[in-house]
Formats: sequence, structure tokens, C-alpha cells
Amino acid sequence: MKQLLKTFKVAFQSIYKNRTRSLLTALGIIIGVAAVIMTISAGEGATQEVQSQISGLGTNLLMISTKTEHRAGIDVRMGRPVDEKDFDILQKNSVWMSKLSPLVANGVRAIGPQGNKSTTIYGVSSDYFDILSREIISGDIFTEEDVKAARKVCVIGETIKRELFAGSDPVGRQIRINKVPFTIVGLLKEEGKGTMGQDQDDMLIAPYTTILNRLYGRRRGYNMIMASAISEDHIEDAEIEATELLRESHRILEGEEDDFEVTTQIELQEITGNVTGILTLILGAIASISLIVGGIGIMNIMLVSVTERTREIGTRLAIGARESDILTQFLIEAIVLSLAGGILGIILGVIGNQIIYEATDFYIPTAVNSILIGFGFSVLVGVVFGYFPARKAARLNPIDALRYE
Amino acid sequence: MPKKKVIETRKLGRVFKNGEIQVHALTGIDITIEEGEFVALMGSSGSGKSTLLHILGCLDQPTSGEYYLDGVHVNKLNKNQLADIRNQKIGFIFQSYNLLSRTTALENVELPLVYDRTGRFSNSKELARKALEQVGLGDRTHHKTNELSGGQQQRVAIARALVNDPSLILSDEATGNLDSKASIDIADLFVRLNNEGKTILMITHEPEIAQFAKRMIYLRDGKVLTDELIKNRSTKESALKDLESTT
Repeated sequence: MKQLLKTFKVAFQSIYKNRTRSLLTALGIIIGVAAVIMTISAGEGATQEVQSQISGLGTNLLMISTKTEHRAGIDVRMGRPVDEKDFDILQKNSVWMSKLSPLVANGVRAIGPQGNKSTTIYGVSSDYFDILSREIISGDIFTEEDVKAARKVCVIGETIKRELFAGSDPVGRQIRINKVPFTIVGLLKEEGKGTMGQDQDDMLIAPYTTILNRLYGRRRGYNMIMASAISEDHIEDAEIEATELLRESHRILEGEEDDFEVTTQIELQEITGNVTGILTLILGAIASISLIVGGIGIMNIMLVSVTERTREIGTRLAIGARESDILTQFLIEAIVLSLAGGILGIILGVIGNQIIYEATDFYIPTAVNSILIGFGFSVLVGVVFGYFPARKAARLNPIDALRYE
Repeated sequence: MPKKKVIETRKLGRVFKNGEIQVHALTGIDITIEEGEFVALMGSSGSGKSTLLHILGCLDQPTSGEYYLDGVHVNKLNKNQLADIRNQKIGFIFQSYNLLSRTTALENVELPLVYDRTGRFSNSKELARKALEQVGLGDRTHHKTNELSGGQQQRVAIARALVNDPSLILSDEATGNLDSKASIDIADLFVRLNNEGKTILMITHEPEIAQFAKRMIYLRDGKVLTDELIKNRSTKESALKDLESTT
């Protein structure tokens, strides 16, 4: 017991006297732990973010669009576009879909009193706002009458208001879209960034009829038809129904493939699952690399100091230290340095996450498992590589340990 | 009354195995050294003198024969008992000092007492300071080893070998890395320690250093060639005079 106390003193003195070596050893562990915590936490944060944004899209949404195939890096349209006829058939016959809206989208140049900017205009029916649950905070949405008459009215997003109207209430005022004057009837509630980082407030929404007739002449087809199922439980019924109605409309024979695509939230969520799965895999790989790099750093400094330390062990043995005295000393040193480094690493990792959060608004919850994995692995490597070379040296004849080079 | 035997070896042998090759470093060594002796161990390199000293210092084990240290049959001891013997009965001095770096002289000298399990020493700092005073380094106690000259470092190592009050001091070419003047100082220090009653066995390859001892054992090819008393022992004064006349 008394000997153990003396050995503790020896171990702490050794750590203190060899400050540089101790610091480098601990540094390997600090960086290893912090890197693992930050990568794993970032991975989990990103996964959660993607999931929450996708579920925010509305789970009873259906998107019916032309079939595209990914060829040589670009999406190529495979069938004829969905059009007015498809839309009428769906609207007249659908049982499982409650709201339907065509969607035509185009890049345009919008000019307001305070400036101009390029943005996107979405041509839709008034049901669109219900389907995507977009709310109006000032004015109102355009009416079915507006759509039928193809009136030049539009609803704008917050970004347009800020940039083209300097933040003042734009309702009732004019905006020129590709030189055609539109009257603003409503302002969308701010939505923020979308799943892919796009600004969901940088948009104009107008009757699709207006866009097709007044902005582009008579363009054939829509980008897609959006619909909402009568409830989340009937999303698959709605999907089957839409598919059957369109096959009929497009005169597709049995056995032939669809020339359109019906995308639902379920599929979107599957895609999300895949995306986050890949994300997790990549981040797991990065975390493993940080672990390996951290581990090698720790190993290196431990192994580099083996020569010096083997001679030290020889000296201690020669003047009467027992093997157990040496082992206890080295074990204490390794544990103290690994624990201290591990704790500092955790602090550094958590602070690092906080800094990223403050700098980017990307919330990273510090994952508990990342702390456990990083801390556990680094401390293990630290103790193993601190202890086992020492054990090997302490078992030598003292004279062999002294001669070690 | 016959004096106490500090060292007694019977047919001591050491064989090194290197793969298929066997090297007989020592064969049939019979040596007896009594309390209060001051012996110089000489021999050309490869004669086995270091191997013998390592075995006598319990840093290495013989492959044959018997070794009694202070009446204890060393061959029969286990590792821990050997460690305790090294700690309590032997003070070993190395050619390369083997001091702990970044550590003060006092802490280095104190080190053997850290591993003392007998509890026979109460104030280890005080003992370490006394040992440093004995070797003439009373004013260097808080210097780190790298701040001391070679001769001073070797004195620290000697103080470390003295601090546990050993029955036997073994020196493996303590002067090998030192200049002539510092070597003579160290040899003179050994003479003084011997006069105070310490039993000393030192390896040296310098005849002028060996002349400080009372007895000289000469090894050749792992066997004792000669073992005789030294007639005209050097003193510090005579050695310094010789040094001046040759330079």
C-alpha cells in the first residue's frame, strides 16, 4: 500500500517532468476523441435535419410527372408531358384524391419598385396552397375565377418582398414579370430553406392559365400535377388510382411500361432513408478514419518514447524496482494521460459542435454514442500502447533493458 | 576471526545463445571478495569482465555455477527477490551514468529509496543530500542531470549507489567516458569510500586507474588469468604528477 502511494508519486512526477511527451500523448487522444465526436454528431445532425425537412413536406402528397431517365448525368424526358387532358381526367374521376393542381414552373425576371431579380414563377391552381399547406399572411390567394379568366395576379414570397419592395407591404401593388405587369394579391408566410438548401421564399405563384396563355403563349403540358390524397392512409390507393387513370388516358396497353411517374411521400421517405443511409455510411467511414488517425498518433508517440523509456525501465530495475513497480507506474501514467486527454477531447468536441452551430445555424446535437466510442477507443489505445511496451521492457533482464536501442 | 565474504562464486559460467551459435562468455569463475576489499577487474574487451560484473550485480543470471552474495545463494532467488537484493545490497555504477533525465540530482539519488520495502530509511531526502555531500556535490542537489558535467553526473550516479548503504559497490568503467583529471577524481573518491569501509569492485581498462585498487583480477577469454595484490598503489597526488609528466 505504501509502495503503491510511492509509485503514484513517481508516475505523476514522470508525467510532469516529461511535459512535452505527456502533452503530445494526450494531444493524440484529445484530437482523436474530438474528431470522432464532431464527425459522428455532424452525421446524426444531418440525418435528423433531412428527415424532419422531408416529413415537413406533407405526407399525403402525390406528384405526377413525365417519366424521366437519368442518362449520362442528365434527366431525359421519356414520355409525353402530363397535360390538361390528364388533369381533367384525374379531376373528374378521382375518388382518393381530394385536391389537384397543375404545376408549370419557369425561371423569370421580376421587376419591382426597388429592384429586379431572377426568380422562379410557379403556375398552379388555387388548390395548390392547400396541397402544400402554404399559408398567406397578407392579402389572399387568387381565386378559381382568376384561374379561369387567366388574370394577371400573383402571390409572392418573403424574399421577393424584401428585395423588390424593400420590405413594405406589396399587396395590391404591381410587379413586372418578364415585362408583363401582374397585380400582387397575397404574401406567403415565410418558410425558410428547403431540404436541398433552396430558398422557399424566393418564388412567385400565379394561375397556371395565366402563365401558359399570357407569359409563354400556348405551351403544351405541365411540369407536373400535384395532388393530395384524401388522407395519409389512402396515399397508396390514390397512387394506384392515378396510375390507372393516366394509363387509360395515355392509352398504354397492358404489359407496356408507364410513360409517367407518380411519386408519393412514401417513396420520398424511402429515398430519404437511402440518402441518410449513405450519409451515415460516409460519416461512419470518416469517423473510422479519425479514429485510426487518432489511434496512430497515440501509438506513434508511445512507440517513439519506447527507446528512452526502456532505458529508464532498465535503470529503475537496476536499482531495485520490481517488475510490478514498473508496471504500476506505467499503467498509472497511461491511464492518467488517456483520461485527461479523453476528457479534454470531449470538451473540445462539444465546444467544436457549438461553434459550428453558431457559425452555420446547422444544429448538431452532440451524440452520446460518439462520446462513448471516441472516448472508449482513444483511452483503450492510450492504455494499451502505454502499458504493453512497458510490460515487455519490465520483463527483460535489467541489463538487456539498459542496452536497448 | 576471518572477514565476512561479500562475494563468493563457484564454477560460475555464462553462455550466450545466438541462434545455433553458443558463446562461452565465462567459464569456471571462482572468486572470493571479502568485506572492505577494493578490487580492480581488468581484461581486454570480450574477456567477459562486464558479463561477470552484471552477474555479480544481479542484473544478469549465470547459466552454471553458484553465486553467494553476502551469504545469500543468489541463483535460487526469484525476480522480485533479485530486485530487492539489487535494492538493498548492491550499488551499481554504469559507464553511461544511466541517470533519469530532466530530474534533479537529489531526486536521482533518492530513487533507490523509493523502491525500498524494508522501511529501514526514514528520511530519504536527507539521506540523498548526505550521499551527494559525500561525493562532493552538496551544492548541486537541485541541478538537473543535463545541467551537470560528465564527472559531476558520474558523482551523482555514485551517490545513488551509496544512498542505500549497500554491502557492495560495483562499477562498470565508471571513468570510461571521463577525461583523465575527472577519472583520477573518481578513482580517489573510490579510495575514500573504501577507506570508510565500502567493498568495491570496479572494471577499468586504464592501468593507471586500476593502480588505485588494493587487488587486481585479470580476465582473459572468460577465465581468471591473474589475481594478485597491488603493491605500489596510486594516490591522487602521485597520479596527478604522472599525468603532468606525460603531457
